[in-house]
Amino acid sequence: MNPALAGVALAVVVGAVVAGSTRNARTAIFCLVITMIGVPIVADPTPAPLSLAARLVAALLAGYLLWIATRGHRVRTGGSLVGWPTDAFLAAAAAVVGFGSQGLGAPAAGPPLAAAVGFALAALAVLPIVTGRDVLRIGLGLCLLLGGVLLVRTSLGGTPDGFEQLLTAGLVATLGGAVAILAIAVRADDGAGFEVSPGAPRGSSHGPDAHRVGPP
Amino acid sequence: MSLIVFTIVAFGFAGLSVALRTRARAAAAIGCLGLVATSLAAILIDPAQVVIIAGGALATTAYLRLFLALGSLVGLGLAVAGLAGGTRRDAPTVTLAILGSCGLVLGLVDARAAVLVATAGGLFGVILTLVPKGGRVGATAGIRETRAVVVAGALAIAATAWFGRDLSRLAAQPAVFGLAYLAFAVAVSIRFGAIPFHIWAARLADVVPETTLPILTALAPASLAVVALAWTDASVTPLLVDLGAARAIVLAIAIASIILAAVAAFVQDDIEHVLGYSIVGDAGVVILALAALDPEAWAPARIWILAFVVARGAFAAWTAGVRAGFWTGRVADLRGWARRSPILAAAFILVVVAGVGFPGLVAFDARRSIVDLALDGTLATIVLLGTLAPLAYYGRLMAIGLAPADHVLEPIEAWRPRMAPYDRRAKRRWLRTTWDANRAFSTASVALLLGLLALATSAGAFGGPAAAAGLPPGLEVPGDGTEITEPIPSDGPSLPSESVAP
Repeated sequence: MNPALAGVALAVVVGAVVAGSTRNARTAIFCLVITMIGVPIVADPTPAPLSLAARLVAALLAGYLLWIATRGHRVRTGGSLVGWPTDAFLAAAAAVVGFGSQGLGAPAAGPPLAAAVGFALAALAVLPIVTGRDVLRIGLGLCLLLGGVLLVRTSLGGTPDGFEQLLTAGLVATLGGAVAILAIAVRADDGAGFEVSPGAPRGSSHGPDAHRVGPP
Repeated sequence: MSLIVFTIVAFGFAGLSVALRTRARAAAAIGCLGLVATSLAAILIDPAQVVIIAGGALATTAYLRLFLALGSLVGLGLAVAGLAGGTRRDAPTVTLAILGSCGLVLGLVDARAAVLVATAGGLFGVILTLVPKGGRVGATAGIRETRAVVVAGALAIAATAWFGRDLSRLAAQPAVFGLAYLAFAVAVSIRFGAIPFHIWAARLADVVPETTLPILTALAPASLAVVALAWTDASVTPLLVDLGAARAIVLAIAIASIILAAVAAFVQDDIEHVLGYSIVGDAGVVILALAALDPEAWAPARIWILAFVVARGAFAAWTAGVRAGFWTGRVADLRGWARRSPILAAAFILVVVAGVGFPGLVAFDARRSIVDLALDGTLATIVLLGTLAPLAYYGRLMAIGLAPADHVLEPIEAWRPRMAPYDRRAKRRWLRTTWDANRAFSTASVALLLGLLALATSAGAFGGPAAAAGLPPGLEVPGDGTEITEPIPSDGPSLPSESVAP
């Protein structure tokens, strides 16, 4: 096993555990960026420099957009409901499963480490996506899920070609932008946190639902 | 390459419109101009080109051209209807971005790359959920949409990755074949908001304008569905593997969507939700095609997808016309709408005929073929009758429209075009006055035009059946004029087997 690749894989998982468990929004985003930067590197062979650059720029751009959405003093997000040690054990267990089931029934073209890290990220994404009650936490979970599934794709089919890397970079940046826009919209409403609305939204974007009292 | 030109036009105008977002009117005008440009660019697509970019490949087909041309025209019509109805001005921008991504999705030879673009395209719709002075409720719907799009994308990426490699040396009994097929079918179902994945789509109908609903829940997912059909036909159908359990789940989703969505649309109180559930019901037929696992379903499914997108677009324009004309979306408050607006009544009839159809109509026959290929016996008969269930909610709307109006505050001639006296010294004010006075007429006229387009598409005009029967994008050079813009390197990365035509 390539020790450098193992080191990157460890950094990706640790970043994901912290991103999913911390309550400090900017710490979570910083760790998410570390994870997203590491995701394209956990591949054998490593992507071509231009492709890798595109992925790194996309990760940084997504992180920067999220960073903008969390401007302010001590901005908080939901954090993990079960605590970081549980998250870490969950990630470790998922990584073992991923490492052991690499290829999922057929020979894999990518490294087993990619499968291990991919499974770990996907497992860490489940709780924020399913139980998340704030926009930023759900968004962080979605970024982790995307990173995880991209790693599983790398483990199954090998390192993607340059064009696919470019499209992946576009997807990563678009997801970061979408979550950032939503986070900004939530905070702009009343300046509070990122909590989602408890009730069903009604008629917000349609025309007025009443008859006019006179001609225009 | 003509597809690249289309993509540049779509994303270029979308970017320009975003750059001008602080000047809302200019941004909306640029967006509409962009939709005109994409309509032309789509029509000018050469349906036999292949271009290699950094190891990936883009190819054009006649179906891609027709899909993009019809999508652009529907998007233009809905944008104009939305502007006339006074709803969101950023709708044309989002439509352009989604059209650009649809072009790439349908043109990409490798399904693994196509699902990435389809996922990114779905995320563009999030912008429409942002509601001024209601950020939290809009963003709540937006994050639910984002969650649905990304989870669906993750399933599709995993499924295509599993098949997109050398499977000649299987190490275990491939139960994963069924799981991969199920994952992609569920991904398509989630994107359409099919039952039981419909909650996010129902909430979306609360916050986005009615004119954008078909763009988000019909047009964008339809491109993913086309990829899923090609992938299923090339990768799953040829396998002699028992997919019974996975197929049963996909069938259940399809049947539930077809029947329960019609029931849900029937009991809704507002026309936006009727529209939303009508999209879900028609999308059920697309999911049924995925469950057919028969190459014979290829052409009917693609015909139905075209008819579905255009007909739902026309229905959305009709709902916008109703709102602009009667200032309400509550079904109970719409008594006499058909008597008071003959144009909307005519548009509605066209929508019903295009959407439900009759034997002999290409879309109707395509839907019947899909049901026959996917199901047998009594269940096929029940589901075929279920596809006619939309007649119930259409009938309810028409019955209310023909009932005597309980209160008429609008002048009876409000649906007609009205022209203010021309003032040479104040042209802009005259234009604005005329535009404002004709909002109801404009939206109703757009609905009528889209209704005609829907009927023509359902009848098989524009070469729809021939285009739908064609091959998916591939690298083959059939000797009939297929152009390879750049030579394929002999030692370049090989493309996965699903890129080959079924």
